[in-house]
Amino acid sequence: MSFKDTLKEKIKQNLNRKFIGKILALAAKKPVLYLFTRTLKSVSDKHLNSVSIKSFYKAYSKKSQVAYGSLFLPYEMFYSLGLSPFLPEVLAGFTAGMGIADKTLAAATKNWYSQDLCTFHRSASGAVEMDLFPKPKFIICTNLACDAAQKSFYIYSKKYNIENNFYLIDVPYDYSNKSIDYLSRQIKEVCYDIAKKTGKDLDLNKFKNIIKNSNKFRHWAKKANDIRKDLTAYPPNYNGLNFILPFHGLAGTKDAVILYKNMYKELKKYIGKKENIQHKKILWLHLKPYYSNDIFKLMQEGNCRVAFEEINYVYWPELDPSRPFRSLAKKMLSHYLRGPIDNRIKTIHKMAEEYKIDAAIIFSHWGCRQNNAGARIIKDSLKNRNIPTLVLDGDCVDKNNYSKGQFRTRIQGFIEMLG
Amino acid sequence: MEKIKKYFKRSTDNNNYIGWLCTYTPEELILSAGFTPFRIYGSKDYNRAEGFFPINFCPYLKSSWESILNNDTHLKSIIFTNSCDGMRRLYDTCKKYSSIPVFMLDVPKNQNISSVNYFEFNLNNLIDFLNSLGNKKITNERIKNSIEIINKKREGLIKLNNMYRNSIIDIDTYNSIIKISTLSDPYLFVEELSNYIDSIKNVAKPKKPNILLIGNFINEDRLWKLFSELDLTLSYQDTCSANRYFEGLVENGNKPLGSIAKRYLYKSACMRIANLGNKITEIKENIKKYKIDGIIYISLKFCDNTLYFYPLLKEELKDIGKPSLYLEIEYNNFSEGQVKTRIQAFLEMIYT
Repeated sequence: MSFKDTLKEKIKQNLNRKFIGKILALAAKKPVLYLFTRTLKSVSDKHLNSVSIKSFYKAYSKKSQVAYGSLFLPYEMFYSLGLSPFLPEVLAGFTAGMGIADKTLAAATKNWYSQDLCTFHRSASGAVEMDLFPKPKFIICTNLACDAAQKSFYIYSKKYNIENNFYLIDVPYDYSNKSIDYLSRQIKEVCYDIAKKTGKDLDLNKFKNIIKNSNKFRHWAKKANDIRKDLTAYPPNYNGLNFILPFHGLAGTKDAVILYKNMYKELKKYIGKKENIQHKKILWLHLKPYYSNDIFKLMQEGNCRVAFEEINYVYWPELDPSRPFRSLAKKMLSHYLRGPIDNRIKTIHKMAEEYKIDAAIIFSHWGCRQNNAGARIIKDSLKNRNIPTLVLDGDCVDKNNYSKGQFRTRIQGFIEMLG
Repeated sequence: MEKIKKYFKRSTDNNNYIGWLCTYTPEELILSAGFTPFRIYGSKDYNRAEGFFPINFCPYLKSSWESILNNDTHLKSIIFTNSCDGMRRLYDTCKKYSSIPVFMLDVPKNQNISSVNYFEFNLNNLIDFLNSLGNKKITNERIKNSIEIINKKREGLIKLNNMYRNSIIDIDTYNSIIKISTLSDPYLFVEELSNYIDSIKNVAKPKKPNILLIGNFINEDRLWKLFSELDLTLSYQDTCSANRYFEGLVENGNKPLGSIAKRYLYKSACMRIANLGNKITEIKENIKKYKIDGIIYISLKFCDNTLYFYPLLKEELKDIGKPSLYLEIEYNNFSEGQVKTRIQAFLEMIYT
């Protein structure tokens, strides 16, 4: 049994917050982390695992104040405020990977969360009900992308008795000077209010440096993305859909800069390397199942490879360190999931062109209304460009909604159609 | 609804409609542009719409899309609001696959001065859109007149609500008239409603227990009929189809647009708002005000805003010792027998 599997098993057997904290404290110790990451084959994966464990450990260790955040927030503000971000939606993905989602989802159902809701939010809610997550001091969320986070996050604030420390950053539908003003004011007010509550002044110099770090991270992430446009071979086990935490939750940290710089360097080594078979290039839209599954193996068997994932697209312009609030507002407003679906479609078309895509897969995660209800429009828009699209119905978190045979039939049928 | 329609013949005879779906749409501005605000209720069946949306998608929006696709309402335009993920995608779908001019009104989720100002700015964009349709040019004066008449409509509906709560009219009649109010010329409707109210001479004893109905867009004649057969009063309907639609007047002062922005952001709230604690407070106040004995929470399937709220509300109700019943239904379809049995069992529980 690998080190990772041993830890998973131990956590499963002792499912409580204290024990998870203990395991993370052990895993985050330098020699242990070194030995563990040595078992991983790709440099990018080593860094990913290392920064993820360190980030989770920090949140569980009680050494700094924890703030829950939803996925598409500008995490630069958390680091400027000296908060340890904790992303329940990302951790819900981990509940699937750890094999404990059955328990967290059952806890959510027991507490009246309907089974028709998104399992990322249900699983995270179940984990909160089971008291598995570190206790937060603040809860910040946004309605960017979907309605779910603001609802479930408010309930968490109630559970932890910190309703007065709950903030929703309400992202306007349109991109305009007026909406930038409205949003930057919200971000500014949240930052100053939290600074006041923590008894510290908001350090604008620190904020500037974090914005500079964020720009460096953006620079390397973009370079890594650019290099993928010409790659035909990849490091072993590389999967771009695993990098959600650093791409969002670590923006503004040195860790993100180092990770993406190393990812770039690693990918660069694969330029010109050719694999025996020429793969069809797939654009992956939305997320993937985080429990053990055969999807990517099936694609590999059918000579298809994910050439790019929508979630890794650098959608925002360089930030201006002298205007942090305004810059972060622009970052949020630049997101392709904001406003009408045309924004997302334009981005998809751009990616399809840049990565010379042969086909697209929209993973239709159960309960994700914003994605699934737009699948028809996206599919039709790609059809107009002669790009076939598979809408793959499934669930990113609940393995009980994964039918191996059904997935095999659908993926194989799609691959056959690609010829 | 048919038995009551005869009282509202003139106001429903109209063909200059602009469609709307969500209670955050300011009817005042549609009216100021010389159009009649017309709420979209959708088609009874929705076969074509199924091809556009996934199976687990809001049935009300699917049903609305079916009626837009079939163009059975002959609308001049449709005003959408970014109320929820589903509504945003319906707007996209409508823009892509239909020729009807559409507008998306951005309604903030926070409730503070800055949100009111931003909403006022968005209302100005809506005015530009309505003016571009080339009917009547919207002026401050026209907005003020519209505020006055829509306020009168709201006052009339509040009177009607009192009549229902005193069992002078039944729930079926009450909800039918609310529905008619969303489909008719407000000027004529106000007149006809006043005549209707004057014509009713019943005296009756209010039915007990007092039930608070909480939900989303509940538009189901069979459900109202079912409620009217039971011994209960739906003292307050915290739904998109009743109190959340007509409660709260717009202050008719010198800054009409600002007043509209304020009324809509602070009206009886949908669960889409940021601070759900405010919604809980509102519900608790209504429980006290209407001497509520029990709560029936009813949701159309796949409505995230409503579904996420229940775990929170359930805990709060437990704390104040109020029983609640949770029901999920389809739009235009539900299992009558099953729902009736569950409500009867719930009422028995309240009595014991």
